[in-house]
Amino acid sequence: MHSFINFIMGPMVWISFLIFFIGVIFRFFQVIKLVNERENFIYTYMSFKYSFRSIFAWLIPFLPVSTRKSPVFYGISYVFHLLLFLIPIFLLSHVALLEESMQWSWFTMNDAVADILTLIVIFSLLFFIIRRIVVPEVNFLTKLSDFGFILIVALPFVTGFLAYHQFFAYQWMVIVHVLSGELMIILIPFTRFFHMFMAPFTRAYTGSEFGSVRHAKDW
Amino acid sequence: MMKLKRLIFMSAVILIITAFYAYSREEIPTIDNIVFDHPQRSAAVFDHDDHNEKAMLEDDCSICHHVYENKKLIKDESSEDYLCSECHFLKPTPENAIPLRMAFHKQCKECHFESNKGPVLCGECHIKK
Ligand code: HEC
Ligand code: HEC
Ligand code: HEC
Ligand code: HEC
Repeated sequence: MHSFINFIMGPMVWISFLIFFIGVIFRFFQVIKLVNERENFIYTYMSFKYSFRSIFAWLIPFLPVSTRKSPVFYGISYVFHLLLFLIPIFLLSHVALLEESMQWSWFTMNDAVADILTLIVIFSLLFFIIRRIVVPEVNFLTKLSDFGFILIVALPFVTGFLAYHQFFAYQWMVIVHVLSGELMIILIPFTRFFHMFMAPFTRAYTGSEFGSVRHAKDW
Repeated sequence: MMKLKRLIFMSAVILIITAFYAYSREEIPTIDNIVFDHPQRSAAVFDHDDHNEKAMLEDDCSICHHVYENKKLIKDESSEDYLCSECHFLKPTPENAIPLRMAFHKQCKECHFESNKGPVLCGECHIKK
């Protein structure tokens, strides 16, 4: 058991990040190739000005009109996406382990704060699940895999929460927590999670098309 | 009705037994965490003499209570009259690059990993009460 735990909390972390980085580079090349082959006309109207104008507009909460039309969904979505990164990066136990193995260390948040933020993430994910079931227009577009992706995101947060409180099956909770976190890192380049990298580019593309072709705002 | 009464009686018995067990369970000694300002976790369980007897470390106190000079470990000298926090500080310093939390974690966990025994996960040492 000790060598298994040592492996998943040691080398496996670096293997996951390696697959992640190689995957991201591979996917970028793939996307660039696809654009060159099929839609290279977009280069004729891509514009830095309209790209960044659009990206910044969409970074400001509730500036885009469509976000104001469903404020609850976009509000929860905004907070969720922020916490998805803030919690794991500034979690005391993550930074403590990184400090012990790499001497890297940075600001950490209080465990009690992280605990509440984690609950917010879990409830946001519950909201996304319920929304996909009860809102007809969303349900119509929902595939089974959409729930799968929500569960993959939920797993590290739920097991982390349960492990922190040591409610039951502590050792297994930590093991599933570590493995599900690594699974998510590995899956990012190869699944829908890749939108975390593509989002600025799709925004730039739409922004440029609206700006240079249609002479309109896209927010 | 009989069934309900029996159910209540049995529940009461189980409740009393667990409560008794919870209170009578002797408290495991811990390592004082007062030097950390605002400790975030419960103090780590460590029954000094019992631990060292089980782990067969009684002959060599210096495995844990070590002495360094100019960053070099001095063999066969021990520092059991000092607390770890007298040499390891909350932040790394020029004299000692290993901050206190890391000093504890490294010393405890590295040996547990090597000997395939003993706790290595947060909650196995920082047990929630
Ligand atoms: C082998 C036992 C052991 C394990 C495993 C362990 N710790 Fe500790 N930890 C200690 C000891 C010993 C101290 C110092 C004395 C104390 O806190 O009682 C300490 C101190 C700390 C402190 C500083 C004091 C405080 O409460 O703020 C933090 C934070 C901490 N540990 C977090 C963690 C986290 C997070 C993990 C898992 C990643 C972890 N520990 C795993 C033994 C352990
Ligand atoms: C597994 C590691 C380990 C071993 C081996 C060990 N100790 Fe300790 N000892 C500790 C820790 C940890 C503390 C708590 C230190 C602290 O709170 O800073 C401690 C505390 C003490 C203290 C109290 C220090 C004080 O100033 O309050 C004494 C005395 C002591 N040990 C003696 C011994 C003797 C004698 C031996 C050898 C027979 C020994 N220890 C072996 C880990 C160890
Ligand atoms: C008399 C001073 C002194 C005491 C007491 C002391 N240390 Fe150290 N320790 C040092 C010095 C000096 C170093 C070397 C630091 C460096 O390399 O900058 C060191 C290094 C370490 C290291 C890293 C090297 C290794 O062995 O893996 C650990 C871990 C450590 N100490 C843990 C502890 C723990 C736990 C205690 C209490 C049981 C303790 N120390 C008590 C002075 C001390
Ligand atoms: C040099 C090796 C070594 C060091 C250093 C060490 N341990 Fe251990 N520890 C062991 C071994 C071996 C066991 C398993 C003992 C057994 O056979 O049950 C163990 C078991 C334990 C247990 C379980 C005790 C039990 O009764 O089952 C705890 C708790 C523990 N260690 C805490 C600590 C803490 C806290 C530290 C750091 C201050 C520490 N250990 C440092 C070797 C070590």
